[in-house]
Amino acid sequence: MSSVLFLNLAWQISTLALVALGLAIVFGKLQIMNMAHGEFVMIGAYAPVITSSMGLPGWLQVPMCLLTVALVAFALERTIIRHLYGRMFDSLLATWGIAILLREAVELIFGRGYQSVSPPIGGTLSILGADYPAYRIVVIIGIIVGFAALYWWNTRSKVATRIKAMVGNPDLAEAIGINTARLSAGAFIFGCCTAGLAGLILAPTIRIEPMMGLDYLIRSFFALVVGGLGNLEGLGIGAGIIAGTQSVLGAVANQTYGYLAVLTLSILFLWLKPDGIRSSSR
Amino acid sequence: MTALLEIDNLTGGYRDTNVLFDVSARIETGSVLGVFGRNGVGKTTLARLVQGSLIAGAGEIRLEGSSVGTLPAYARRELGFGYMPQTSMVFDDLTVRENLNLGSNREAPDRYFERFPRLAERLDQPAGTMSGGERKILAFVRSMIEDTKLIVLDEPSEGVQPENIYHMADCLKERAAAGVGVLLCEQNLTFLTSISSWYLGLDAGTVVLNKPANEVSGADLRSILSL
Amino acid sequence: MVYVLLPVSLLLAVLLLIPELFGDFVAYQIGLYLIYGVAAQGIGYLWGKTGVLPLGQALFFGFAAYVTAITLRAESGLIIDLALATAVLAAISVFSFLLAALIFRGRNESGPYFSLITLALVMIAEQVAGTMTNLTGGFNGMSGFDSLGNLDPFGSFYYVIVAATVVVSLLLYVLNKLPVNLIAKAVADNEPRLQLLGFPTHVVKGAVFAFSAVIAALSGGLFASHQGIVTPTSMGFGLSAEMVILTAVGGRFHVLGPLIGAVIVGWASAELRDSFPYWELLMAAAFILVVLKAPGGIAELLESGYRRIRPAKIGKSFEAIAAPTTKVVDSDAPLRFDDVHLQIGVVRILNGVSFETPPTGIVSVIGPNGAGKTSALNTITGNLRITDGSIALGKRRIDSRPPYKALHSGIGRKLQVPSVFFSMNVSENLSIAMMANRARLIDLFRPSTYQWRSKSLSDLLEHSSVPLQEELVEPVEHLPQGHRQFLEYAMTIAAEPQVLLLDEPCAGLSPDETALMTNLVREYQAETGGLVIVIEHDISIVEAISDKVLVMHLGQVLAFDTFETVRSNPEVQAVYSGGTK
Repeated sequence: MSSVLFLNLAWQISTLALVALGLAIVFGKLQIMNMAHGEFVMIGAYAPVITSSMGLPGWLQVPMCLLTVALVAFALERTIIRHLYGRMFDSLLATWGIAILLREAVELIFGRGYQSVSPPIGGTLSILGADYPAYRIVVIIGIIVGFAALYWWNTRSKVATRIKAMVGNPDLAEAIGINTARLSAGAFIFGCCTAGLAGLILAPTIRIEPMMGLDYLIRSFFALVVGGLGNLEGLGIGAGIIAGTQSVLGAVANQTYGYLAVLTLSILFLWLKPDGIRSSSR
Repeated sequence: MTALLEIDNLTGGYRDTNVLFDVSARIETGSVLGVFGRNGVGKTTLARLVQGSLIAGAGEIRLEGSSVGTLPAYARRELGFGYMPQTSMVFDDLTVRENLNLGSNREAPDRYFERFPRLAERLDQPAGTMSGGERKILAFVRSMIEDTKLIVLDEPSEGVQPENIYHMADCLKERAAAGVGVLLCEQNLTFLTSISSWYLGLDAGTVVLNKPANEVSGADLRSILSL
Repeated sequence: MVYVLLPVSLLLAVLLLIPELFGDFVAYQIGLYLIYGVAAQGIGYLWGKTGVLPLGQALFFGFAAYVTAITLRAESGLIIDLALATAVLAAISVFSFLLAALIFRGRNESGPYFSLITLALVMIAEQVAGTMTNLTGGFNGMSGFDSLGNLDPFGSFYYVIVAATVVVSLLLYVLNKLPVNLIAKAVADNEPRLQLLGFPTHVVKGAVFAFSAVIAALSGGLFASHQGIVTPTSMGFGLSAEMVILTAVGGRFHVLGPLIGAVIVGWASAELRDSFPYWELLMAAAFILVVLKAPGGIAELLESGYRRIRPAKIGKSFEAIAAPTTKVVDSDAPLRFDDVHLQIGVVRILNGVSFETPPTGIVSVIGPNGAGKTSALNTITGNLRITDGSIALGKRRIDSRPPYKALHSGIGRKLQVPSVFFSMNVSENLSIAMMANRARLIDLFRPSTYQWRSKSLSDLLEHSSVPLQEELVEPVEHLPQGHRQFLEYAMTIAAEPQVLLLDEPCAGLSPDETALMTNLVREYQAETGGLVIVIEHDISIVEAISDKVLVMHLGQVLAFDTFETVRSNPEVQAVYSGGTK
């Protein structure tokens, strides 16, 4: 395998893991089947478009992205999502409506056309004997560090346990001192913000347009189907399998075959291993 | 002088239907208020109104003199209310250990595991896989080790073997001796009379008896239960 | 009938007069909305009955549209066109049936998973259609072909569309009146119960999904012929999404709901899309509102308004027909557990359970909470898969099979918490139970099947103390718990299983009702000469009914003998020391 192919694989897997993280939280933990997940990625990707159109310096992209996404997520959580905890199927439908709403709103503001932004870090780095864009290498390292930090925090913090407790038994969770309204809103907003951040990171490498989110929703969902909903390791494995299959097949054959393979894989998993790849190892 | 918990003229229930009418009671520091009455007279409603998963339509609840009656349950927990519900009393998806540690930062003292060895054996097992009686014990121990001033217990002995009910009584006596107040809703008269220092008898949502334990006879209790 | 016929014939008259009244262009537009509406009717049937939501229905719509375009362009004549259409519809129904049946096998939910798979499929299809330029014309699509039978899309083709709409609506209306409708609704209502009544629910879902796919394909064919152009968007995600919105806004529980939704939304969107920039936002908001506040959509609102003027009449007389006999199963042989182990995660629930029941009689299962009693019953019906050992009924091994096969082996099951079809009335519940283990496929499409009654069920219903006879039109959710216990019992014995598994049948019953229930169980056993296994906590009931008592403790068999012997067993006494209240 050439080192460029390897680095591409690392790029695909790490970015998919980041994209899927938010869905793993919102769907896996809060049990809200967020069909608007990809739209948060999309909004995040528009952040650099906003800052440059307002003439703001580039370093403001990150706060702009997080602020925008958090505000949208907060407003939606307060008005719509909070009626949907414990109603997974209704959550799918309502967030489906939210997805359309967000796409149309963005289209009204920015138009239907493609936008593109340049990476904040230009140039290439020579690594493993290949010249590879420096920006992507920084991102790959950043995501790995970020996940390591998240993993470390997750093993120490009770938040994951508290969310699990809240979803399983909201009344008892309140009784032992958990502010469930705040915890669920916080988790939802956090999940959406990671999606927004993923969008921001991907922005320089893709065409930014209102419809771009769907593809990320589908692939995140497949990563969760394959990896299972339980934990960060599963998420990593799922992202690895999905992004790996897609980019390897995409490179040797074409994108459509890659997509078909991923879909087939997911249907096989739903059919044979509905709890994900790690279910048998327990 | 203000008591630990004061309940004044409480009226409340579910949505449009009131279940309790004009209920008043006191719990002193270190004492156990035994609430009893037949099925459906409002014991669980009283427990939930005090703990905060229901909000009273009228009346007042005060902890150490300050009003808590409109606070949500999690805020009352922060002020020192503990609660063991009658049903769905554990987190089924969490392990026994997680159930015990979630509400407090303390490890359970060994004496609880000596009394209830099954809990110690099952620390890493999901609570939902345990039987009904075992879940009651887990929820009971959880409410014992939390740092609280007042514990509300709703039928803790239901489905629990007699031997373990004795241990529960011992635990409650210890907590009361440490200055904690207890509101105990209970059907099991043996258990109730072994630890209550004051009785509150309910019928059809109203108070029919409110007396210290030494002024109440077994016949009084039974007459209310068979009204 | 009149209350349906009157508004429907008015509606039809308006549809037929549209070209005369408003001109050909309006008719052309309405024709397009009706085409979308028909596809949405298929979605409505699938989603409204079984609860399965397809997010990729344009896959079938677009596929059929492309095939139609290719065929029409070849100009091979109407006969060949229609033959090909039949073949395509058959292929689509097989594909969609297999897809759904495979995904739903072993899952008890309509779940978001399936919805997302259909969404992914349609996204791939759109991509494929855009890239296979030779066949599909790529992004520019296919055009330049005449409509089906060379009818004028702006003229007489409108009547073909109206005809198709009427046919599909009539079909759905008739289906709604047939017993098969109850089965479809039962899937969304209580899937585990339907399985225990012997219905393979993944097959039901697969069949209804295939049905909706065929309807989508049908309207896709009309679309190609009507529009004269097919592009990848006809097979795309956007169209799929729009169809779901039409269905939801129009009303998924009514035959005409999706049609109404399609025409209203289509017309409003044509009027407002250009002049009102926030139109799409408004649609999305309307959709969210429908989901949160009015799941029945416009049709539901219309119906409740109409009902205020003209209340529905209920309570037509019921004439029972003797039900056909149940499918014969030879299972008058003992039930045998051989070293059965059951482990879920790290938790061992059954640790080597072995026993063999007598071939007939009543066996009570007792034991402290958490002993594994209910789990043991779950392994018999296949609701739980054992990790080791074997379970056999006579010579046949029955463990590790899906729950819907239990009844076919002669095993009926009543669950711990009464499990019935809560959205239906008592009579409908009983009808489904009467179909269990009796109905052939064709019977599901005969109205007379509703009237089936077996003698044992009629006897039970005429029992003076069983209150169900007076509650036949009562929705089950309004019944008190005790009556639900009797209803579920009645439903379980309706299939006349030789092996009857009852999990705490007397829970929540008054003393009188308890006496009645135990009598019913004894009578049933005596009449059928079968085997009854009862989990029961009340020792006096156990003493009264049991031929043998199985004592379980910590996932093992502690004792299995007559009541007297078990009672004097010191081990049993140790477990039960003071174990009663």
